[in-house]
Amino acid sequence: MKGFRAILRKEAIQMARDEGTLRFAIAVPIFQLCLFGVIDTNVKHVPTVVYDQSRTVESRSLIRDFENTATFDVKRFARSRAEMREEIVAGRVATAIEIPPDYADRRARGVPADVLVMIDGSDANTSGQALSAANGVALSHSIEELLARTGGEDLPLRVFPQILFNPDSRSANLLIPGLVAILLTFSGTVLAAFSIVKERERGTLEQLMVTPVSPVGLVLGKLIPYLALGFLQLIAVLAIMTTVFRVPIHGNIFLLLGLSVAYLFALICMALVVSASAATQIEAMQRAQAFLLPSIMLSGYVFPLSSLPEWLRVVAQVLPATHFIAISRGIIIRGAGFADLWPHVAALLIISALLVLASTRAFRKTLA
Amino acid sequence: MNSSPSEFGIEVRGVSRDFGPVRALHDVSLSVRRGEIYGLLGPNGSGKSTLIRILCGILAPTAGSALVDGLPVPGESEAVRQRIGYVPQRFSLYHDLTVDENLAFFAEIYGLRGARKRERQEWAIALAHLEPYRQRLAAHLSGGWKQRLALAASLMHEPRVLFLDEPTAGIDPVARRELWNLLFELAGKGVTLVVTTHYMDEAERCGTVGYLYLSRMLVSGRPAELLRLPDVTPRGMRRYEAECAAGAAAVMGSARGLAYVEDVTIFGNALHLLVDGAPEPARIARDLEAAASAPVQVRPIDPSLEDVFVRLTKLASQAEAEPAGAAR
Ligand SMILES: Nc1ncnc2c1ncn2[C@@H]1O[C@H](COP(=O)(O)OP(=O)(O)O)[C@@H](O)[C@H]1O
Ligand SMILES: [Mg+2]
Repeated sequence: MKGFRAILRKEAIQMARDEGTLRFAIAVPIFQLCLFGVIDTNVKHVPTVVYDQSRTVESRSLIRDFENTATFDVKRFARSRAEMREEIVAGRVATAIEIPPDYADRRARGVPADVLVMIDGSDANTSGQALSAANGVALSHSIEELLARTGGEDLPLRVFPQILFNPDSRSANLLIPGLVAILLTFSGTVLAAFSIVKERERGTLEQLMVTPVSPVGLVLGKLIPYLALGFLQLIAVLAIMTTVFRVPIHGNIFLLLGLSVAYLFALICMALVVSASAATQIEAMQRAQAFLLPSIMLSGYVFPLSSLPEWLRVVAQVLPATHFIAISRGIIIRGAGFADLWPHVAALLIISALLVLASTRAFRKTLA
Repeated sequence: MNSSPSEFGIEVRGVSRDFGPVRALHDVSLSVRRGEIYGLLGPNGSGKSTLIRILCGILAPTAGSALVDGLPVPGESEAVRQRIGYVPQRFSLYHDLTVDENLAFFAEIYGLRGARKRERQEWAIALAHLEPYRQRLAAHLSGGWKQRLALAASLMHEPRVLFLDEPTAGIDPVARRELWNLLFELAGKGVTLVVTTHYMDEAERCGTVGYLYLSRMLVSGRPAELLRLPDVTPRGMRRYEAECAAGAAAVMGSARGLAYVEDVTIFGNALHLLVDGAPEPARIARDLEAAASAPVQVRPIDPSLEDVFVRLTKLASQAEAEPAGAAR
């Protein structure tokens, strides 16, 4: 631990003086937070074109029912099927509804009436939600008629769904707890790795090596300020999340803060591995990318873990971000406690231990 | 100071160092008395920095042994670190810290605290005359001041041995002279110094100089001794300086062509000639004038340190080339 305090003080001064790093550490989280706070992946108001050949009270009532789902937003009317198709190809609308000329007539006679719904399949999320909304409209119309005809009062089977914790299915509630994990990788891994590589690149490491500073003192003194920076970022992001975007923390915030230290520690260990073998900041950045990309793509932040193939799910388990996202979503959204989350905490500690082992071996080589 | 067991601050015995297939140092030996300045010279890539790194304990020798302040490196590197200072070839302090902060940092790294730390800091500031620049970022210092700061930082813990790797490269002559005055002051206090340089005037001021060439120590000794080495001006040869009104370059070619001229070097406006046999200076002047069609003055001179190194380098590369397949 020799030299630890001197290194810590020096590093803190340098960090405070490095406006670029600080701006990066503050501006990036706020920007991303705002972006993810306003994004909503729930599909609403899909622009729609209607080709109404019936032009009756019944057909207009059907169009209204489509609009009332809030999924469809009738933007224009067409005069042929070809024109509808054209509107979709041009990207002006994403769905089209064609009502046949005999619609009102068939309804009146009680024969099935066919309504054509065309959906732009180029966005799977939009088309999927539009499809189920269209089916919903047809189903509820049909059931109403059938019930009226048979004189029955009730459906034979009813489901009462109840969505826990995030009743409005707001995307922000899911995205921001994941975003916290990703943001911390930048200061925890990239900035921290840079601070070590810079010493090598500028030759200051050579000067330090002739002083009595111990390798442990050097590494801890350099990395602890970044741990502190990451922690401050975490607190800032959580504060903005709860006050501005009104995402409530259902669990214990102190548990979240405590467990995030385990995560930050794992990230800092990753920084050690990244910096151990890199001679320049560019090399370090390339190495960090190899860690950052999977952390963003495979941790459950962008795609749900259940959508990954089996072998990628195994990869996901060795990424610290996977476990911290599980922890932060657990605490923030579901109000989970330590008893529920300890396997993830254990995983973070094991990952950290392995990283420390790997980095001390690499560091010995470069200091030899 | 003289109570130490050895009169030598540094002793190097047969040190070699390989980087993969590259032999950076080959069987180098030297010793430096306490309080002496040892000047290490040699062309780029001859192994000067490698030798200093080995003595600082940050590079292990492939073969051989070395004692620094009586302690073996790399064996006792930890203890040695408290006793040595090192100014690397590249400026290696923190650009984004001020002069004061850099000095405080190095004081703390060496375990100095409180009043003692402040006292050393003031001493270093005074020694290097850094007072007006205390609050300035190191990045904003000019080359000469950067070197003074680097020197000051390396002295915070009062090292008994100091290594400086090309401390005067790229700084102006006044700053160079002032830096050397500081080095003499330190040597006067019993500090042992090893300084690498390319400047002959600096080499002449060292107690002992060593010349590394192709990883080997070609020659080592007091400057005055080196000037009298028999290889430098072999029996029967003489040294002359030829000054030509039309400039040295005008007669360089024809001087090379003269049968009795063994070696030619340009020195400012003049040529330094190593001449075989005993042609009169007047004859040399006539021969050169014929080629330059301008008046030439020739007078006998003593060899300079540069002549010594040029001559020894030439002999060494001839020796290298002649015995075919000489293993290295
Ligand atoms: N870390 C290293 N790895 C590989 N080769 C090196 C290393 N350091 C020095 N060398 C090689 O060793 C030789 C001597 O280098 P150096 O000691 O820096 O010379 P000098 O300081 O006299 O210019 C050079 O050929 C150089 O390329
Ligand atoms: Mg060098």
